[in-house]
Amino acid sequence: MVQVNAIGLFALVARLVLAWVFIRAGLPKVQDPVAFAASIDNYRIVEGSLSLWVALVLPWLEVVIGIGLLTPWLRQASGWAITALLGLFIGLHTSAWARGLDIDCGCFGESNETIGYHWLILRNSLLLLVAIFILLRDSRNKKTPESSI
Amino acid sequence: MHIFRQFIVIALLSAIGSAYSLVTGLALLPWAEPEIGPNEIRLEDAKALDVIWVDARSAEDFSVEHAPEAIFFDQADPGSSMAGILELWLESPRVIIVYCADAGCGTSKKIAEELRANLPDAEIYSLKGGWDAWSR
Repeated sequence: MVQVNAIGLFALVARLVLAWVFIRAGLPKVQDPVAFAASIDNYRIVEGSLSLWVALVLPWLEVVIGIGLLTPWLRQASGWAITALLGLFIGLHTSAWARGLDIDCGCFGESNETIGYHWLILRNSLLLLVAIFILLRDSRNKKTPESSI
Repeated sequence: MHIFRQFIVIALLSAIGSAYSLVTGLALLPWAEPEIGPNEIRLEDAKALDVIWVDARSAEDFSVEHAPEAIFFDQADPGSSMAGILELWLESPRVIIVYCADAGCGTSKKIAEELRANLPDAEIYSLKGGWDAWSR
């Protein structure tokens, strides 16, 4: 029988929140990849056709791994992909902050989100901690399959 | 399912989604030649603006003909050229447009990038088609 303790419940909520954030972030960008490509250009790291490729694929990847995190047979790879992406986003925001760029982060599509870099980095760092917690939890559950949450 | 297979499934699903975006016309074709690149501006759009023109061609070409009130960017002495442009922009902030000889030259983009690093608040473009676009 599955025992749901406080940590298990927290893991379930954390998984739902993380999945929701990625699906919520991906869907508006799937609907308007052109605006997202402009946001990518603003980071001045990739441009031209490469930013169009990123704007085409990344939103779908976010949606797929968001759903994947809730799908038992995809959750492990989705967890790793989410962790890697959050690390990448933190790096990108830190880099843009260090270069003094005043840009819309493009995190949830064209939202005119004006929160500062420190909040973006803090938010993504918290999400990264949650993702790492879920990865560790899944890894432990793999060794002791009696718990499935 | 083994984690490697999970990654393959995620990649496949993302590829199917991306193909859907391309087929339905939501996304631009990344391999299509863009009409205008990022940070480029067309001459007809530029002419409607109050502009600081920066000429990044050779001194000989500049002396023959140049855009109205253009500043010559001396690539042998980029520091003083840059300082002149900064001073002009600080006196009267306007759009800065850099042009070189033609669409194939990369100097204007390089100089525009350097200007952006020095003037993060300024609106800076390179002219699509370069001086060729002016002289047509």
